Amino acid sequence: MVLVLARETLIVNDLHKIYEDGTYAVRGVSFRVREGEVYGLIGPNGAGKTTTLRMITGLIKPTRGEIFVDGINVVKKPFEARRLIGYLPEEADVYIRLTGYEHLEFYAKLYGVEDIEKTVEYGAKLSGLPEEKLRERAGGYSKGMKRRLLLAIVLMRRPKLALLDEPTSGLDVYASVRVREIIKKYVRETGSSIVLSSHNMLEVEYLCDRVGIIYSGKIIIEDTPENIMEKYGVENLEEAFIKIVEEEK
Amino acid sequence: MIPLPLPKTVRVLLEKEFKDLRRDYKTLFTTILMPLIMMPLLGFISLALVTQQPVNIAIVDEDQNRYTNPVLNITVDSEWLVGNLTYYLSKYGYNVSLANTTEVIYNPDVDLIVVIPKGFAVNASSLNTTAKITVFRKAGYQSAQRAESTVYSVIDVFSYNISNAKLRALSRLAHVNATLQALRNPVRAYTSLITVKGEKVSITFELRNMFARILVLALSFVVSPAAFYVIDGIIGERERKTFEFLLVSPAPVSHVIYAKMIAATVLGIIAALSDALGLVGYMISLGLLYGGNAFILIDYQLLLIHAVTAFFTILSTISIALPFITRTRGIRSASNVASIITTAGIIFFFTGFFIDYVKLPDYILYPLYVIPYVHSILVIQTYMLENITRSLLHILFLTVVSISLLIITSKTVNTEKIIVSQT
Repeated sequence: MVLVLARETLIVNDLHKIYEDGTYAVRGVSFRVREGEVYGLIGPNGAGKTTTLRMITGLIKPTRGEIFVDGINVVKKPFEARRLIGYLPEEADVYIRLTGYEHLEFYAKLYGVEDIEKTVEYGAKLSGLPEEKLRERAGGYSKGMKRRLLLAIVLMRRPKLALLDEPTSGLDVYASVRVREIIKKYVRETGSSIVLSSHNMLEVEYLCDRVGIIYSGKIIIEDTPENIMEKYGVENLEEAFIKIVEEEK
Repeated sequence: MIPLPLPKTVRVLLEKEFKDLRRDYKTLFTTILMPLIMMPLLGFISLALVTQQPVNIAIVDEDQNRYTNPVLNITVDSEWLVGNLTYYLSKYGYNVSLANTTEVIYNPDVDLIVVIPKGFAVNASSLNTTAKITVFRKAGYQSAQRAESTVYSVIDVFSYNISNAKLRALSRLAHVNATLQALRNPVRAYTSLITVKGEKVSITFELRNMFARILVLALSFVVSPAAFYVIDGIIGERERKTFEFLLVSPAPVSHVIYAKMIAATVLGIIAALSDALGLVGYMISLGLLYGGNAFILIDYQLLLIHAVTAFFTILSTISIALPFITRTRGIRSASNVASIITTAGIIFFFTGFFIDYVKLPDYILYPLYVIPYVHSILVIQTYMLENITRSLLHILFLTVVSISLLIITSKTVNTEKIIVSQT
């Protein structure tokens, strides 16, 4: 029995995932994300971050546990829940023969948004890409431009919950800053909830209201970045993260 | 948006697929233009190469004699045969030379040697002996085989003429009226072509059947591009990192699969039509080169049936391949799976070129009905035998099987397997 509190966009309760090959990827993950909150899911490689996010999208079925997005049970009604979710996978890419505008239009139609023109316009604005660039085929974009376009696709229809898996992974400093600006601006404008998975502690500190550190498929600590830093007597989240993970080993 | 009676998400996905496909010039070139160009090109190249193959023929006239049979009063000259051989072989493009000795068989450049032995003229004009000519052919050369058959034709005609002259002389001596046909071929059979309904038909009907058999064979060329397009659409998209982003949309995975399969099938059907048009082009080019009207062999209704058959054959192929493709870890293993399935198809279509499936006994044919490709073959074979009802029944069966397979396989596609296989 799960108590659904008001203004909680996401509830993840005792989530487990064992893959067919026997890999126990997630071992009882539980967390809640409030409306308008940016929640950081951080952890070393293979900790279970991506599997957790994929289970929230309904792409992967949990072995056990429950997920509610705005009160909708993801396991039971994945397609209904997906309309409320925007997901940016860590390794997403663009269609090389479609233009930026065509990408925005295609996904707006696919998600069945009512005002396609306005949504595309908002997406274009969010991406921060110049109009002439958006009219070009995306195959010629730089990695940073592609990431900005994909992020704009995820956010343009203002989903209740956006799941961003390593949104700045592999980007240079300049491109990373631009992506962070998009996220920050979006949250300010819409008040939507975001779950952000990242290895970049600076980014997490900058963007997240609360953080859950995941290790070996379990959340081992959950608090605000400031409280975590204070608790471990360190000046930044990176040091705190290393201390926490070392303690767990 | 595409005005088809399909769910909205499928139409949106199809629109994207077609837009992407329209701009994918490499795929369009290989699957549409290639068959259109390749068939006529293949014909032209093979014709051009055949005529460019030099075949060297040497004629050795060891006899060099003219002899008149005193009883029959007919003359045979070995030089006449040499003249006939030289004239006709040269006419068909062979290089003919005269040699003095049979040592010429050791010359590696000579492919065929015709030896007219001593005593040829005497024996050929005789009433009780046969003149023997030896033909040495270098083994392993098709072009030499063709030259050999021309040599035999010339000798046959030469022999027929001598035989005719001998008969006329004998008739004259015996004071009887005899014809060569009556003496040499007292019994002859003639074939009259009829349909299964007993109606008389011309040789054109037979040639149209041959055209239909080539169309059956042509089905093997269209299943592969479609199957590989689906692989690229699913596994390729997964590897290009666009698939997960697409699957997380509210469109069910089955809709994503439908759109990809429809796009692949449309591509396949266009390839099938290109194949057929290429074949038509090839036949027209043959007509232009050798004379004759190839248009009478082209049955446009058959081409339409071929296109419909190709559509459902492709749909069946990719529906069978899909569950395996989605479970593979990469393009290479997916391609291997698709190759196995398309090879099975190619084998069947190849047998369809030689075997009349309609003639197979029921105990063999009925178990084969479980294989969709057998129906593809039967659609065309029964249509050519003017059994339209049966042809339509096979189309119906193919339609039901391919659509059922499509629904079953797209419903059983496991998103998790596709997603997790990439990691």
